[in-house]
Amino acid sequence: MGSGQYRLVAPTERGRERGAWAAIAPVVAAVGVFGISYGVLASAAGVPAWETVMMSMLVFAGSAQFAAVSSFAIGSPAGAVVSGVLLNSRYLATGAAAAPVLPGGRWRRFLLAQLVVDESFALGVGAGSPERPDGRMLVTAGAAEWLCWVTGSAIGALLGPVLGDPQRLGLDAAFPALFVALLRPMLDRSDAVKSAVAGLAVAAILRPFVPSGVALAGAAVAGLLAYR
Amino acid sequence: MLVAIVVLAAATILIKGAGSLLPEIPDAVAARLGGLAPALLAALVITELTGADGIPRLDAKAAGVGVAVVLAAVRAPFAVCVVAGAAVAAVLRLA
Repeated sequence: MGSGQYRLVAPTERGRERGAWAAIAPVVAAVGVFGISYGVLASAAGVPAWETVMMSMLVFAGSAQFAAVSSFAIGSPAGAVVSGVLLNSRYLATGAAAAPVLPGGRWRRFLLAQLVVDESFALGVGAGSPERPDGRMLVTAGAAEWLCWVTGSAIGALLGPVLGDPQRLGLDAAFPALFVALLRPMLDRSDAVKSAVAGLAVAAILRPFVPSGVALAGAAVAGLLAYR
Repeated sequence: MLVAIVVLAAATILIKGAGSLLPEIPDAVAARLGGLAPALLAALVITELTGADGIPRLDAKAAGVGVAVVLAAVRAPFAVCVVAGAAVAAVLRLA
């Protein structure tokens, strides 16, 4: 059984592929459900269905999109840009870490880097290492997630108007509940806890005197300073 | 709203792709960026719970968030936190 012996040294291409999809599948399923909830909440906030889906295609970043939509819900498009951009600033770091392992020239890498988000980066690191994530996993997982995120958003955006009055359904409470749920897994790191506490405190202190966007910017600075 | 979405999209695309076009970001900067998301998510919970005057409000929405915090603390699945938070707010409004 020469082939069996060979497999011990290097897993077959097909075996490796199957292993990769086993890791990707549960993540993309969760991303799809997450996309549906985004679509529903965007519709409740009065965002037209096509703009909801377009935002998913182009921005492709869950927490920033939820933050943007929650700003639209209170009639603050400027707040949407500020909170979204601040939240996405972390992708400067993941984008830089991913750049060396993405295939092609700099423009092809620029395009593929759009697929590098929290979940695909985590899968890439899982298949490689924190310093050198697996480039193929990054791209495959990212593309699968993008497809599920956009599809889920479209389903949610169409479902939203059918569900009825967002206040009656408590959908306004879904936003902060969602931010809590997004925050929770980050708090396993003690430096992240410091940043969260600093951000919370600064936002609470500033908010009576300044608009939400300014309070969020202050919280961002506090978070950067408190980290490490 | 459309303008805001386009601006956010353009900025995000540049942020994600910057690492592919620019020389390396200094390690000190990259390491600190990890503090952004937790600080902002925590701050967003506060700005969501404050009224127009910026003072936090103890209403059905806050109660829903309280339930979500408890569920998140015991590591309930993501969807459970969100749905339970919304459901508690909805039920309290019926009362």
